[in-house]
Amino acid sequence: MAEMSGGPAPYIYVGTRLRVRKSKLLPKEEYMRMLNMGLPEITRTIEEMEYKREIDELSASFSGIDLVEIALSWNLAKEFQTIIDITPGTLKEFTQAYLRRWDIQNVLTIIRGKFQGLKPGKIKEILVPAGELDRVFLDRLLLEESPDRVVEALKGKKLYPVLAKEYPAASVSKSLSHLENEMYKQFYAKLIEGANGVKGGNLFLNYIRLDIDITNIKNLFRLRVDTIEEDAREMMIPGGTFTVEELQKLNSVTDQNEFIDALMARVRVKTLLAVLDTLRGDKPIREIEIELIKVQLKQMEKMAKLNPFSIHPILVYLEKKKYEVFNLRAIARGKESKLSTDRIKGYLVM
Amino acid sequence: MADGTMTLEMIQASQVGLKAVGAGLAVGMAGIGTGVAEMGIGSAAVGAVAEDKDIFGLALLFTVIPETIVIFGLVVALLLLF
Repeated sequence: MAEMSGGPAPYIYVGTRLRVRKSKLLPKEEYMRMLNMGLPEITRTIEEMEYKREIDELSASFSGIDLVEIALSWNLAKEFQTIIDITPGTLKEFTQAYLRRWDIQNVLTIIRGKFQGLKPGKIKEILVPAGELDRVFLDRLLLEESPDRVVEALKGKKLYPVLAKEYPAASVSKSLSHLENEMYKQFYAKLIEGANGVKGGNLFLNYIRLDIDITNIKNLFRLRVDTIEEDAREMMIPGGTFTVEELQKLNSVTDQNEFIDALMARVRVKTLLAVLDTLRGDKPIREIEIELIKVQLKQMEKMAKLNPFSIHPILVYLEKKKYEVFNLRAIARGKESKLSTDRIKGYLVM
Repeated sequence: MADGTMTLEMIQASQVGLKAVGAGLAVGMAGIGTGVAEMGIGSAAVGAVAEDKDIFGLALLFTVIPETIVIFGLVVALLLLF
């Protein structure tokens, strides 16, 4: 474990930098303004912001919605890589561990694309090389002929053990959902393992627990909407406030009010309690999810204020940046498909 | 000194010496305190300026605010010496 010399200065430096960056993210009013624009105007607006370099670089080879989407994901990836460069000591390891989430997403995207026989160029457009596997490595994966070869090429990477275990079954059934669940479970288990017993690891653990809880609660709500009976244990991630057995029990409660009461009896986070209370009644799942994401961001922001020189300000920025890109993509996509403004607004996290 | 035969001159000389030591401590320790205070502000200021160059002047101003403590130390030292 790399210990940092030089006292608290590097932590203060990074904390401040990321707080400045966070303050530069788009405010709600800006999204509202963009909702009234057409696609070319949106492109021009984001070109005037932090995304200038990517738009300029890519405008020769792409146009319209593709240009916006690729510029956004490139910017996201670049931003995340810069943050890894400037974070010191253990924070760097935490950030890298957190960003491995993108590796899972990229690898699964590539395997899915290969299953469907898509062209490498088409798959490349939706990759976000923000994790450990960089653009060069992902390009190599893209050139592999079959999904089996992609898995082979990952040998030696942190993802490989789970892939090797679960992939054969997935390749027969052509369904990656089980593999995906297992990969995320391993991802969280690794995060917890890496944070245990390290200086500053407790604060990181707080975040991981919050993230796992929110993900599990989201999954519970999703399962309630779903009419197909499924084993909740398969989807739930261990390590949070709830044990998997508890979550399974919660899932079997059929009445919405009872379910929310049972959830509220166990949750300690005040902001989350307040939101859970508003989720009674019939709300579309998308709204519920966005409410939960907002709570998570709010809670993270709170933690970042309590521990200004820890991993928290970094994570808040990473998450907020991610949702900024999601929002911009949603607006651009929505405008492209000529959705109504209200409809698009429902998809934004702001 | 231990045999108790200190003359007046010796006492006066050591008084001057101790004053000088006090003055040195006043400036020196105030300087250390300032340094510690400026460490946090300075690293935050550099971080902020790295993101936004326009606030360089303001950041510099904030960084040198703990410098006032050294001035207090210096004043005390001068009072001691003269």
